[in-house]
Amino acid sequence: MPEYVNDGRSGDGRPGERDPRDRTSPDYSRDRPPGSDGSSGARTEEAFTARVADLGSRLSAAAGRRARDTAADRNETSGETDPDAATAARGMAYGMRMASELVAAVAVGGGIGVGLDRWLGTWPWLFLLFFLLGFAAGVLNVLRAYGRIAREIAAARRDGDGGVDASARQ
Amino acid sequence: MPDPIHQFAIHKIVPLKLFGWDASFTNSALFMLIAVLLTALFFFFSLRSRSLVPTRLQSMAEIAVEFVQNMLRDTMGEDGMSFFPFVFSLFMFIFVANTLGLIPGGFTVTSHIVVTAALAILVFVTVLVVGFAKHGLRFLKLFVPPGVPIYVLPLVTAIEVISFLTRPVSHSVRLFANMLAGHITIKVFGGFVVMLLGAGIYSTLAPLPLLMAIAMTALEVLVAFLQAYVFTMLTCMYLSEALHPEH
Repeated sequence: MPEYVNDGRSGDGRPGERDPRDRTSPDYSRDRPPGSDGSSGARTEEAFTARVADLGSRLSAAAGRRARDTAADRNETSGETDPDAATAARGMAYGMRMASELVAAVAVGGGIGVGLDRWLGTWPWLFLLFFLLGFAAGVLNVLRAYGRIAREIAAARRDGDGGVDASARQ
Repeated sequence: MPDPIHQFAIHKIVPLKLFGWDASFTNSALFMLIAVLLTALFFFFSLRSRSLVPTRLQSMAEIAVEFVQNMLRDTMGEDGMSFFPFVFSLFMFIFVANTLGLIPGGFTVTSHIVVTAALAILVFVTVLVVGFAKHGLRFLKLFVPPGVPIYVLPLVTAIEVISFLTRPVSHSVRLFANMLAGHITIKVFGGFVVMLLGAGIYSTLAPLPLLMAIAMTALEVLVAFLQAYVFTMLTCMYLSEALHPEH
Protein backbone atom coordinates (compact mmCIF):
# COMPACT_ATOMS: atom_id res chain seq x y z
CA MET A 1 0.00 0.00 0.00
CA PRO A 2 2.88 2.46 0.26
CA GLU A 3 2.09 3.11 -3.35
CA TYR A 4 -0.89 5.14 -2.26
CA VAL A 5 0.48 6.51 0.92
CA ASN A 6 3.99 7.69 0.14
CA ASP A 7 3.11 10.10 -2.55
CA GLY A 8 6.01 12.33 -1.69
CA ARG A 9 3.89 14.96 -0.07
CA SER A 10 2.91 13.08 3.02
CA GLY A 11 5.63 14.83 4.95
CA ASP A 12 5.26 18.50 4.45
CA GLY A 13 1.90 19.00 2.83
CA ARG A 14 3.40 20.91 -0.08
CA PRO A 15 2.32 19.01 -3.13
CA GLY A 16 4.76 18.16 -5.80
CA GLU A 17 7.86 19.45 -4.12
CA ARG A 18 10.74 17.65 -5.73
CA ASP A 19 13.91 19.29 -4.62
CA PRO A 20 16.52 18.55 -7.26
CA ARG A 21 19.38 19.39 -4.93
CA ASP A 22 22.44 17.31 -4.36
CA ARG A 23 22.16 13.64 -3.79
CA THR A 24 25.66 13.33 -2.39
CA SER A 25 26.07 12.22 1.16
CA PRO A 26 25.55 15.03 3.63
CA ASP A 27 28.54 16.76 5.09
CA TYR A 28 28.49 15.64 8.68
CA SER A 29 31.18 18.05 9.74
CA ARG A 30 28.47 20.69 9.64
CA ASP A 31 26.68 18.95 12.45
CA ARG A 32 28.96 20.59 14.94
CA PRO A 33 27.77 24.01 15.93
CA PRO A 34 29.93 26.79 14.61
CA GLY A 35 32.05 28.05 17.43
CA SER A 36 32.45 24.71 19.12
CA ASP A 37 35.61 23.97 17.17
CA GLY A 38 38.59 25.59 18.78
CA SER A 39 37.72 29.22 19.11
CA SER A 40 35.96 29.91 22.34
CA GLY A 41 33.73 32.45 20.61
CA ALA A 42 30.38 32.76 22.27
CA ARG A 43 27.38 31.57 20.28
CA THR A 44 26.19 34.84 18.98
CA GLU A 45 22.77 35.50 17.65
CA GLU A 46 24.07 35.52 14.05
CA ALA A 47 25.79 32.20 14.44
CA PHE A 48 22.61 30.71 15.79
CA THR A 49 20.39 32.04 13.03
CA ALA A 50 22.96 30.95 10.45
CA ARG A 51 22.92 27.48 11.92
CA VAL A 52 19.14 27.36 11.93
CA ALA A 53 19.03 28.49 8.30
CA ASP A 54 21.63 25.88 7.41
CA LEU A 55 19.61 23.19 9.19
CA GLY A 56 16.49 24.32 7.40
CA SER A 57 18.07 24.13 3.97
CA ARG A 58 19.51 20.71 4.72
CA LEU A 59 16.15 19.49 5.99
CA SER A 60 14.38 20.57 2.83
CA ALA A 61 17.13 19.00 0.73
CA ALA A 62 16.64 15.77 2.65
CA ALA A 63 12.87 16.01 2.23
CA GLY A 64 13.34 16.45 -1.51
CA ARG A 65 15.68 13.50 -1.61
CA ARG A 66 13.25 11.38 0.31
CA ALA A 67 10.39 12.37 -1.97
CA ARG A 68 12.44 11.40 -5.00
CA ASP A 69 13.48 8.13 -3.40
CA THR A 70 9.95 7.15 -2.51
CA ALA A 71 8.82 8.11 -5.99
CA ALA A 72 11.53 5.89 -7.46
CA ASP A 73 10.57 3.16 -4.99
CA ARG A 74 7.01 3.39 -6.00
CA ASN A 75 7.79 3.15 -9.67
CA GLU A 76 9.92 0.08 -9.04
CA THR A 77 7.41 -1.66 -6.84
CA SER A 78 4.47 -0.88 -9.07
CA GLY A 79 6.51 -2.35 -11.89
CA GLU A 80 7.13 -5.50 -9.90
CA THR A 81 3.70 -6.09 -8.47
CA ASP A 82 0.85 -6.60 -10.85
CA PRO A 83 0.02 -3.18 -12.30
CA ASP A 84 -3.03 -4.66 -13.99
CA ALA A 85 -4.56 -5.51 -10.62
CA ALA A 86 -4.06 -1.96 -9.39
CA THR A 87 -5.53 -0.49 -12.55
CA ALA A 88 -8.39 -2.94 -12.44
CA ALA A 89 -9.16 -2.11 -8.83
CA ARG A 90 -9.11 1.59 -9.57
CA GLY A 91 -11.25 1.16 -12.67
CA MET A 92 -13.71 -0.93 -10.69
CA ALA A 93 -13.85 1.80 -8.06
CA TYR A 94 -14.59 4.44 -10.73
CA GLY A 95 -17.22 2.27 -12.37
CA MET A 96 -18.93 1.32 -9.14
CA ARG A 97 -18.94 4.95 -8.11
CA MET A 98 -20.71 6.08 -11.27
CA ALA A 99 -23.18 3.19 -11.26
CA SER A 100 -24.07 3.57 -7.61
CA GLU A 101 -24.57 7.34 -7.95
CA LEU A 102 -27.08 6.88 -10.75
CA VAL A 103 -28.91 3.89 -9.30
CA ALA A 104 -29.09 5.36 -5.81
CA ALA A 105 -30.59 8.62 -7.09
CA VAL A 106 -33.26 6.83 -9.13
CA ALA A 107 -34.07 4.59 -6.15
CA VAL A 108 -34.30 7.52 -3.75
CA GLY A 109 -36.47 9.51 -6.16
CA GLY A 110 -38.78 6.56 -6.74
CA GLY A 111 -38.92 5.86 -3.01
CA ILE A 112 -39.93 9.43 -2.21
CA GLY A 113 -42.59 9.25 -4.92
CA VAL A 114 -44.07 6.00 -3.61
CA GLY A 115 -44.04 7.34 -0.06
CA LEU A 116 -45.84 10.54 -1.04
CA ASP A 117 -48.35 8.59 -3.15
CA ARG A 118 -49.18 6.30 -0.23
CA TRP A 119 -49.60 9.29 2.04
CA LEU A 120 -51.69 11.39 -0.34
CA GLY A 121 -53.37 8.54 -2.23
CA THR A 122 -52.35 9.82 -5.64
CA TRP A 123 -50.76 6.65 -7.03
CA PRO A 124 -49.03 6.62 -9.50
CA TRP A 125 -48.58 10.28 -10.40
CA LEU A 126 -46.11 11.45 -7.79
CA PHE A 127 -44.14 8.25 -8.23
CA LEU A 128 -43.76 8.99 -11.94
CA LEU A 129 -42.75 12.59 -11.25
CA PHE A 130 -40.20 11.78 -8.58
CA PHE A 131 -38.85 8.83 -10.53
CA LEU A 132 -37.98 11.24 -13.35
CA LEU A 133 -36.61 13.81 -10.91
CA GLY A 134 -34.52 11.06 -9.35
CA PHE A 135 -33.16 10.17 -12.75
CA ALA A 136 -32.24 13.81 -13.33
CA ALA A 137 -30.56 13.94 -9.92
CA GLY A 138 -28.65 10.77 -10.79
CA VAL A 139 -27.38 12.25 -14.04
CA LEU A 140 -26.39 15.38 -12.11
CA ASN A 141 -24.50 13.27 -9.57
CA VAL A 142 -22.69 11.34 -12.28
CA LEU A 143 -21.73 14.54 -14.09
CA ARG A 144 -20.42 16.04 -10.86
CA ALA A 145 -18.48 12.92 -9.96
CA TYR A 146 -17.09 12.73 -13.47
CA GLY A 147 -16.07 16.39 -13.41
CA ARG A 148 -14.17 15.81 -10.20
CA ILE A 149 -12.43 12.75 -11.56
CA ALA A 150 -11.53 14.54 -14.79
CA ARG A 151 -10.09 17.44 -12.80
CA GLU A 152 -8.05 15.06 -10.70
CA ILE A 153 -6.73 13.21 -13.72
CA ALA A 154 -5.77 16.52 -15.33
CA ALA A 155 -4.03 17.59 -12.12
CA ALA A 156 -2.25 14.26 -11.98
CA ARG A 157 -1.02 14.70 -15.56
CA ARG A 158 0.30 18.15 -14.67
CA ASP A 159 2.17 16.76 -11.71
CA GLY A 160 3.80 14.17 -13.90
CA ASP A 161 4.20 10.78 -12.29
CA GLY A 162 2.99 11.97 -8.92
CA GLY A 163 -0.56 11.31 -9.95
CA VAL A 164 -1.01 7.70 -8.93
CA ASP A 165 -2.61 8.80 -5.72
CA ALA A 166 -4.65 11.63 -7.20
CA SER A 167 -6.09 9.53 -9.99
CA ALA A 168 -7.09 6.89 -7.46
CA ARG A 169 -9.61 9.22 -5.93
CA GLN A 170 -12.88 7.46 -6.59
CA MET B 1 -21.00 -26.57 -3.92
CA PRO B 2 -20.31 -24.65 -0.73
CA ASP B 3 -22.72 -21.82 -0.16
CA PRO B 4 -20.96 -18.54 -1.07
CA ILE B 5 -23.35 -16.55 1.11
CA HIS B 6 -22.71 -18.61 4.23
CA GLN B 7 -19.71 -16.45 5.19
CA PHE B 8 -22.01 -13.50 5.84
CA ALA B 9 -24.28 -15.31 8.29
CA ILE B 10 -24.70 -13.71 11.70
CA HIS B 11 -24.45 -15.94 14.76
CA LYS B 12 -25.30 -15.02 18.28
CA ILE B 13 -22.40 -15.51 20.63
CA VAL B 14 -23.94 -14.07 23.78
CA PRO B 15 -27.75 -13.86 23.50
CA LEU B 16 -29.05 -10.73 25.17
CA LYS B 17 -32.45 -9.06 25.41
CA LEU B 18 -32.66 -5.41 26.35
CA PHE B 19 -36.10 -3.84 26.82
CA GLY B 20 -37.58 -6.22 24.28
CA TRP B 21 -34.84 -5.53 21.73
CA ASP B 22 -32.52 -8.23 20.54
CA ALA B 23 -29.14 -6.82 21.54
CA SER B 24 -27.17 -10.05 21.33
CA PHE B 25 -23.43 -10.01 21.00
CA THR B 26 -22.90 -11.49 17.53
CA ASN B 27 -19.90 -12.48 15.43
CA SER B 28 -20.30 -9.14 13.64
CA ALA B 29 -20.07 -7.28 16.94
CA LEU B 30 -17.08 -9.41 17.87
CA PHE B 31 -15.20 -8.39 14.74
CA MET B 32 -16.12 -4.75 15.21
CA LEU B 33 -14.69 -5.00 18.70
CA ILE B 34 -11.55 -6.69 17.35
CA ALA B 35 -11.15 -3.93 14.76
CA VAL B 36 -11.46 -1.20 17.38
CA LEU B 37 -9.14 -2.98 19.82
CA LEU B 38 -6.55 -3.66 17.11
CA THR B 39 -6.55 -0.01 16.07
CA ALA B 40 -6.30 1.18 19.66
CA LEU B 41 -3.51 -1.25 20.52
CA PHE B 42 -1.63 -0.41 17.32
CA PHE B 43 -1.61 3.28 18.13
CA PHE B 44 -0.87 2.66 21.79
CA PHE B 45 2.23 0.62 21.06
CA SER B 46 3.42 2.52 18.00
CA LEU B 47 3.21 5.91 19.68
CA ARG B 48 4.52 4.88 23.07
CA SER B 49 8.11 5.89 22.43
CA ARG B 50 7.36 9.11 20.50
CA SER B 51 10.93 9.39 19.30
CA LEU B 52 12.05 12.02 16.83
CA VAL B 53 13.50 9.31 14.62
CA PRO B 54 10.51 7.00 14.35
CA THR B 55 10.63 3.25 14.66
CA ARG B 56 8.94 1.15 12.00
CA LEU B 57 5.69 0.93 13.94
CA GLN B 58 5.72 4.62 14.70
CA SER B 59 6.30 5.59 11.09
CA MET B 60 3.41 3.35 10.05
CA ALA B 61 1.19 5.23 12.47
CA GLU B 62 2.54 8.54 11.23
CA ILE B 63 1.92 7.59 7.61
CA ALA B 64 -1.69 6.73 8.44
CA VAL B 65 -2.22 9.99 10.31
CA GLU B 66 -0.57 12.12 7.63
CA PHE B 67 -2.53 10.37 4.91
CA VAL B 68 -5.85 11.35 6.44
CA GLN B 69 -4.48 14.77 7.38
CA ASN B 70 -3.58 15.51 3.77
CA MET B 71 -6.98 14.32 2.62
CA LEU B 72 -8.66 16.76 5.01
CA ARG B 73 -6.33 19.58 4.08
CA ASP B 74 -6.83 19.06 0.35
CA THR B 75 -10.62 19.15 0.59
CA MET B 76 -11.30 21.61 3.41
CA GLY B 77 -8.15 23.54 4.17
CA GLU B 78 -6.90 24.09 7.69
CA ASP B 79 -10.32 24.65 9.26
CA GLY B 80 -11.22 21.08 8.37
CA MET B 81 -8.78 19.83 10.96
CA SER B 82 -11.47 20.00 13.64
CA PHE B 83 -12.99 16.96 11.93
CA PHE B 84 -9.76 15.01 12.07
CA PRO B 85 -10.69 12.71 14.99
CA PHE B 86 -14.00 11.81 13.36
CA VAL B 87 -12.65 11.23 9.86
CA PHE B 88 -9.58 9.39 11.07
CA SER B 89 -11.64 7.05 13.25
CA LEU B 90 -13.91 6.32 10.29
CA PHE B 91 -10.97 5.58 8.02
CA MET B 92 -9.17 3.33 10.48
CA PHE B 93 -12.32 1.44 11.42
CA ILE B 94 -13.34 0.75 7.84
CA PHE B 95 -9.83 -0.10 6.73
CA VAL B 96 -9.16 -2.49 9.61
CA ALA B 97 -12.62 -4.06 9.30
CA ASN B 98 -12.14 -4.59 5.55
CA THR B 99 -8.71 -6.11 6.08
CA LEU B 100 -9.89 -8.37 8.91
CA GLY B 101 -12.48 -9.79 6.54
CA LEU B 102 -9.72 -10.97 4.20
CA ILE B 103 -8.21 -13.24 6.84
CA PRO B 104 -9.52 -16.77 6.27
CA GLY B 105 -12.24 -17.51 8.80
CA GLY B 106 -12.69 -13.82 9.43
CA PHE B 107 -15.97 -11.97 9.20
CA THR B 108 -16.36 -8.89 7.03
CA VAL B 109 -18.26 -6.36 9.10
CA THR B 110 -18.53 -3.92 6.18
CA SER B 111 -20.24 -6.49 3.94
CA HIS B 112 -23.49 -5.82 5.84
CA ILE B 113 -25.45 -2.80 4.71
CA VAL B 114 -26.65 -2.18 8.27
CA VAL B 115 -23.11 -1.32 9.28
CA THR B 116 -22.21 0.81 6.26
CA ALA B 117 -25.59 2.56 6.35
CA ALA B 118 -25.08 3.39 10.03
CA LEU B 119 -21.70 4.94 9.18
CA ALA B 120 -23.11 6.83 6.19
CA ILE B 121 -26.07 8.15 8.20
CA LEU B 122 -23.65 9.26 10.90
CA VAL B 123 -21.80 11.29 8.26
CA PHE B 124 -25.05 12.61 6.80
CA VAL B 125 -26.35 13.77 10.18
CA THR B 126 -22.99 15.33 11.00
CA VAL B 127 -23.12 17.29 7.74
CA LEU B 128 -26.64 18.52 8.52
CA VAL B 129 -25.82 19.47 12.11
CA VAL B 130 -22.58 21.23 11.21
CA GLY B 131 -24.16 22.97 8.22
CA PHE B 132 -27.11 24.36 10.17
CA ALA B 133 -25.01 25.19 13.23
CA LYS B 134 -22.45 27.13 11.20
CA HIS B 135 -24.68 28.78 8.62
CA GLY B 136 -28.22 28.57 9.97
CA LEU B 137 -30.82 28.74 7.23
CA ARG B 138 -28.23 29.96 4.76
CA PHE B 139 -27.16 26.32 4.58
CA LEU B 140 -30.28 25.75 2.45
CA LYS B 141 -28.65 27.84 -0.27
CA LEU B 142 -26.90 24.58 -1.11
CA PHE B 143 -30.12 23.61 -2.88
CA VAL B 144 -30.50 26.85 -4.79
CA PRO B 145 -27.74 27.11 -7.34
CA PRO B 146 -26.98 30.69 -8.38
CA GLY B 147 -27.89 32.00 -11.80
CA VAL B 148 -30.94 29.82 -12.40
CA PRO B 149 -34.03 31.49 -13.93
CA ILE B 150 -36.95 31.66 -11.51
CA TYR B 151 -39.32 29.53 -13.59
CA VAL B 152 -37.11 26.44 -13.47
CA LEU B 153 -35.94 27.05 -9.90
CA PRO B 154 -38.52 24.73 -8.24
CA LEU B 155 -37.52 21.92 -10.57
CA VAL B 156 -33.79 22.47 -10.04
CA THR B 157 -34.24 22.71 -6.28
CA ALA B 158 -36.22 19.45 -6.21
CA ILE B 159 -33.46 17.74 -8.19
CA GLU B 160 -30.79 19.17 -5.89
CA VAL B 161 -32.68 17.98 -2.80
CA ILE B 162 -33.02 14.47 -4.22
CA SER B 163 -29.35 14.54 -5.16
CA PHE B 164 -28.52 15.50 -1.58
CA LEU B 165 -30.73 12.76 -0.13
CA THR B 166 -29.02 10.25 -2.41
CA ARG B 167 -25.70 10.70 -0.66
CA PRO B 168 -26.12 8.37 2.31
CA VAL B 169 -27.55 5.72 -0.02
CA SER B 170 -24.72 5.69 -2.54
CA HIS B 171 -22.18 6.30 0.21
CA SER B 172 -23.21 3.15 2.08
CA VAL B 173 -24.14 0.95 -0.88
CA ARG B 174 -20.77 1.44 -2.55
CA LEU B 175 -18.74 0.15 0.40
CA PHE B 176 -21.15 -2.67 1.17
CA ALA B 177 -21.52 -3.81 -2.46
CA ASN B 178 -17.78 -3.81 -3.09
CA MET B 179 -17.01 -5.92 -0.05
CA LEU B 180 -19.93 -8.27 -0.65
CA ALA B 181 -19.18 -8.80 -4.33
CA GLY B 182 -15.47 -9.37 -3.77
CA HIS B 183 -15.96 -11.93 -1.05
CA ILE B 184 -18.63 -13.81 -2.98
CA THR B 185 -16.38 -13.93 -6.07
CA ILE B 186 -13.49 -15.40 -4.10
CA LYS B 187 -15.81 -17.94 -2.54
CA VAL B 188 -17.31 -18.96 -5.88
CA PHE B 189 -13.89 -19.56 -7.42
CA GLY B 190 -12.91 -21.52 -4.31
CA GLY B 191 -16.06 -23.58 -4.79
CA PHE B 192 -15.07 -24.30 -8.41
CA VAL B 193 -11.77 -25.76 -7.20
CA VAL B 194 -13.56 -28.14 -4.85
CA MET B 195 -16.08 -29.16 -7.52
CA LEU B 196 -13.40 -29.79 -10.15
CA LEU B 197 -11.35 -31.90 -7.75
CA GLY B 198 -14.27 -34.29 -7.42
CA ALA B 199 -14.90 -34.51 -11.19
CA GLY B 200 -12.56 -37.31 -12.29
CA ILE B 201 -10.50 -36.40 -15.33
CA TYR B 202 -11.48 -32.74 -15.10
CA SER B 203 -9.67 -32.39 -11.78
CA THR B 204 -6.56 -31.46 -13.81
CA LEU B 205 -8.31 -28.15 -14.48
CA ALA B 206 -8.65 -27.40 -10.75
CA PRO B 207 -5.55 -25.12 -10.54
CA LEU B 208 -7.14 -22.62 -12.95
CA PRO B 209 -9.89 -21.36 -10.62
CA LEU B 210 -7.40 -21.58 -7.78
CA LEU B 211 -5.15 -19.11 -9.60
CA MET B 212 -8.15 -16.89 -10.18
CA ALA B 213 -9.06 -17.05 -6.48
CA ILE B 214 -5.51 -16.03 -5.58
CA ALA B 215 -5.61 -13.12 -8.03
CA MET B 216 -8.99 -12.04 -6.67
CA THR B 217 -7.62 -12.12 -3.14
CA ALA B 218 -4.77 -9.82 -4.18
CA LEU B 219 -7.30 -7.52 -5.80
CA GLU B 220 -9.42 -7.58 -2.65
CA VAL B 221 -6.47 -6.34 -0.61
CA LEU B 222 -6.40 -3.30 -2.88
CA VAL B 223 -10.16 -2.93 -2.76
CA ALA B 224 -10.14 -3.07 1.04
CA PHE B 225 -7.86 -0.05 1.12
CA LEU B 226 -9.41 1.73 -1.84
CA GLN B 227 -12.94 1.52 -0.48
CA ALA B 228 -11.88 2.77 2.93
CA TYR B 229 -10.16 5.61 1.11
CA VAL B 230 -13.16 6.39 -1.09
CA PHE B 231 -15.53 6.37 1.88
CA THR B 232 -13.26 8.74 3.80
CA MET B 233 -12.69 10.96 0.78
CA LEU B 234 -16.43 11.36 0.21
CA THR B 235 -16.90 12.07 3.91
CA CYS B 236 -14.35 14.87 3.58
CA MET B 237 -16.12 16.29 0.55
CA TYR B 238 -19.53 16.23 2.21
CA LEU B 239 -18.14 17.85 5.34
CA SER B 240 -16.43 20.51 3.28
CA GLU B 241 -19.79 21.39 1.74
CA ALA B 242 -21.20 21.74 5.23
CA LEU B 243 -18.41 24.18 6.07
CA HIS B 244 -18.58 26.12 2.81
CA PRO B 245 -22.04 25.61 1.28
CA GLU B 246 -21.54 28.43 -1.20
CA HIS B 247 -19.31 26.31 -3.43
